[in-house]
Amino acid sequence: MSKKEKKHLSFRLNIIFLVVFILFAVLILQLGVIQILSGESAQDQIDRTENVTTNTPVPRGEMYDRNGEIVVENDSKYSITYTPPKGVQGEDKLKLAKKLSEYIELDTKGIRLRDKKEYFFLKNPDVVKERIEDKDMENLDSGEVYQAQLAAVTEEDVDGYKGETLQVIAINKELNKAYALAPHVVKDENISEKEYSRVAEHLPSLPGINVASDWERRYPNGEVFKSYLGNISTREQGVPREKLEKFLALGYSRNDRVGTSGLEQQYEEVLRGVKEKVRHTTDRNNNVVDTEVIREGKSGKDLVLSIDIEYQKRVNEIVKEELAKAVPGNSYLENAVAVVSKPDTGEILAVSGQSVNKNPSGDEEKFTDSSHQGVYNAYLPGSVVKGATVLTGLEEGVIDPGTTIRDRPLEFPDSEDMGSYSKLGNVNDLEALQRSSNVYMYNIAMRLGDYYYKPNQPLRMDEEKANRLIRYNFHQFGLGVPTGIDFPYEATGLEGSDPTGSDVMRSAIGQYSSYTAMQLNQYVSTIANGGYRMQPRFVTSIHEPASSGKELGDIYKDFSPNVKNSLHMDEEYIERVQKGFKMVTQTPGGTASSVFNNDRYRQYDISGKTGTAETDKYLENSSGDGTRRVELTNKAFVGYAPSENPEIAFSVIVPNLDSGADVSPNYHIGARVAEAYFQLKEERAEKKEKKEKEQKNESNDNIENE
Amino acid sequence: MRWEERFDWQLFFSILAFVVVSCIALYSAQQSEQYNDPFVTRQLVFYGLGFIVIAVMMNFDPELYQKASVYLYIFGLLLLIALILAPSSIAPVIKGQKSWFALPGLSIQPSEFMKIFTIMMLANVISRHNVRFQGKAFTSDVVLLLKIIGVTALPLLLIMQQPDLGTSLVFIAIMAGMILISGIRWRVIVPIYSGIAVLGTTIILLALQAPQFLEKYLGVKEYHFGRIYSWLQPLKYEDSSGYQLVKAMRAIGSGQLYGKGTGEREVYMPESQTDFIFSIIGEEYGFLGSCVVLLLFFLLIYRLTFIAQRANSNFSSYVLVGIIVMITFHVFQNIGMSIQLLPITGIPLPFISYGGSSLLATLMAMGFAFAVTFHHRTYMFGDY
Repeated sequence: MSKKEKKHLSFRLNIIFLVVFILFAVLILQLGVIQILSGESAQDQIDRTENVTTNTPVPRGEMYDRNGEIVVENDSKYSITYTPPKGVQGEDKLKLAKKLSEYIELDTKGIRLRDKKEYFFLKNPDVVKERIEDKDMENLDSGEVYQAQLAAVTEEDVDGYKGETLQVIAINKELNKAYALAPHVVKDENISEKEYSRVAEHLPSLPGINVASDWERRYPNGEVFKSYLGNISTREQGVPREKLEKFLALGYSRNDRVGTSGLEQQYEEVLRGVKEKVRHTTDRNNNVVDTEVIREGKSGKDLVLSIDIEYQKRVNEIVKEELAKAVPGNSYLENAVAVVSKPDTGEILAVSGQSVNKNPSGDEEKFTDSSHQGVYNAYLPGSVVKGATVLTGLEEGVIDPGTTIRDRPLEFPDSEDMGSYSKLGNVNDLEALQRSSNVYMYNIAMRLGDYYYKPNQPLRMDEEKANRLIRYNFHQFGLGVPTGIDFPYEATGLEGSDPTGSDVMRSAIGQYSSYTAMQLNQYVSTIANGGYRMQPRFVTSIHEPASSGKELGDIYKDFSPNVKNSLHMDEEYIERVQKGFKMVTQTPGGTASSVFNNDRYRQYDISGKTGTAETDKYLENSSGDGTRRVELTNKAFVGYAPSENPEIAFSVIVPNLDSGADVSPNYHIGARVAEAYFQLKEERAEKKEKKEKEQKNESNDNIENE
Repeated sequence: MRWEERFDWQLFFSILAFVVVSCIALYSAQQSEQYNDPFVTRQLVFYGLGFIVIAVMMNFDPELYQKASVYLYIFGLLLLIALILAPSSIAPVIKGQKSWFALPGLSIQPSEFMKIFTIMMLANVISRHNVRFQGKAFTSDVVLLLKIIGVTALPLLLIMQQPDLGTSLVFIAIMAGMILISGIRWRVIVPIYSGIAVLGTTIILLALQAPQFLEKYLGVKEYHFGRIYSWLQPLKYEDSSGYQLVKAMRAIGSGQLYGKGTGEREVYMPESQTDFIFSIIGEEYGFLGSCVVLLLFFLLIYRLTFIAQRANSNFSSYVLVGIIVMITFHVFQNIGMSIQLLPITGIPLPFISYGGSSLLATLMAMGFAFAVTFHHRTYMFGDY
């Protein structure tokens, strides 16, 4: 090895050693930064790594009617909650329970023997442990040991507990129900102002205890419209189990109260508000070292309903009264339903269903509010659908405006004749509606099936085609399809499958498919407003929670009227049916003119269509052996008023009248519902005028006085 | 001379110090881990084996190693190839890597031993080259450079496909060190090194600023940069790739100046017996304890540099430089990654981390150092 080479090697070795030195220096430097400069903060991070978030409930949104009357409100309630720190010991809770028992009182009925034993064990652990031999415990896990220890507490031990001690036991039991860092309501019912303030005063000496205000739903109008408002679960029921996953994913807790039916369910998302989210940071000894509000709580949003609650009340009364009048002589009549809406927007003004309680016992009401039947129950509606049938005939070109058909019973070989209630002679489309000609409708149905009626010939219609065309056109009015109402459930009625030719013909007179009152209302609204099928609405707008008082907050969302579909029919055709509907009520010979054209109701200019459907009911024999069939009648009415630019559209169904009943509660309900609307409108206008006048006078007085 | 005089006591005691440090750290790791392996006992067994290896290796003259280096190198390559071909019953895929032979009772990681064989082979190639080309010319420098790269590339490629990034980087570091010491002139080395430095920096900056660019032109997927992202912003990736770094930094940082004391750890650290052993030392013995460990490494390297300086043959010096670079890289990378100086790559801390192959390979390297001292001859006349 040359000297030069060695020197060379030595030099480069020194360079490598220098690099090594520098690298080590960098390591030490960085260690210094991490361990000495930031060491403490690293320790802090370790000490406070446990984060637990809790959610505090906020009041649910309220509901108002279309005039700003409150329909569902919250009653503030005080509650006392317990949020246990992590790792809290039984003795600590007992101590807390004892302190708390000085300030509040709990119901002691729920205390079981076991609770008492647990209390005894907490108080006298040594006494209990002495009673058990150690060798018996050797093979037991901690849970089993505890069971054995409780078993060693005798009933005599706990017999003497009463008064204050029971209070402590009851409170301790409540405290034990709480999960770490999650607020648990210790008492929320019947908290007196005194209890609340005493606990609030002593909060600092009650670790984990908090006072909060909670809410309870209150309905100022009692049962009025209640079945649509819906229910919310109690804190015990919590989130519906079958939807647990979904709710948990949305940030609910298991014991949250949620809407379980009606509008409470439909609008759960906006009504619920945003829970306050707080993060607690704990150190290693589970002391909360920091509490940070991650998300501000926000009360639920308020709903403004389309319902006019005052009008709803009047409609309820009308339905009850008319039902009561019709009950004598109609032993199977049980209920009646009416839906009133604004035909141009689809807003539901009132929906009333009443069930009669025929043998009220004691303090039971004679009527039960069963308004839900407006969307739940479907009935054969009878001739009210004839407007749709005529429009189908016109649209499909099987009749023209003015087409005349001779109304006399249709005769078929080997089957019963099919006729109207009497021989009406030659009728055109208008008269067919006015006088409710079945034969006219049958002919439309047959022609839709490419068959023109000839007496005593077999029915050779294409029933499939006729059925398809009728259903297609009926669906345009909402008959046989969901109305799309903002409600968790609606029935769509039965349309029947594989209809025969005569079935199709009967469907043209409302004797085959069943519909709900809501569907009928949508149908008549579509005719009333000139061909727009409006989505019915219960809620017209959603508002931000009010900042103060009972005033409404800013609009969060406004539901503009929603057209589900518009009829592609000629305007002339629709006007034709409107004219026919007007003739039903306002011309002599119209099926309902006797009621609607009398002095009382003529002023309201109501158009409409009557319907009577033959139906039957199978009833159990009183002897219990089998059933018997009873022939019954459904009576329906759909209408709107005034005839030009209608303000209201309504549908009425009174099902299960006796066959051949000579009462028409359907007309009376319809007419009175319209009357009530205009009367209320007038009353309000008068009131307003009077108020304005008063204000004017007042200001005039003021001026004079000055 | 008697053997006591020829024996390198300094080196021996510095290794003994590592035995103590390793046992203490592993004892602590044992406390919190859910492993059944008795780390300390097994590590002591490995140390015992290692000392036997040293005792045997010491007896051979370094010249012999130079002669044997080709065979060892080929043997190592064959092992690596066998690893690829071996069925998973013998060479299982562990944590995504096929790096181990799992034999009953022990597992062997050939790449660990290959580091030593490659160092010897490189030293052999360089010293022979320098004998043949006495008057160095530019071309001979380039030829040597290519030889060095070639010798390193073979095992490197085999290891990269296991894939074992950490060990691959060790090979690259060794190569860089060997090029530096090989005598290739600065005018060749400086441009190459600066070029690599610039390229490396550019890639890292691109990964941070314009990952789409790398993805488009180099075909690198964005998740490949995860290592870099989680290195620079560990808290952001605390739940995923930044987990280990956050934990290690908390552990080491909270040790502060004096540490928490033996067994007083608070941070649970997965793999703390192997790659993250330093987090135990940092947490339990603080800045002072960490510095003691670093000092031990520094003294060891100082001793190895001394041996390299006065070695009789260039081959020995070259091998020792390779060992120095290897140990330094391991230490810097291993400790550096747990204190956010470098991105995380899984390589052990020499002498201290739990693991037979790694420890035996390191002690094998020490065996060579012992042999150099043991067979050192001082010439009566002239300088060397």
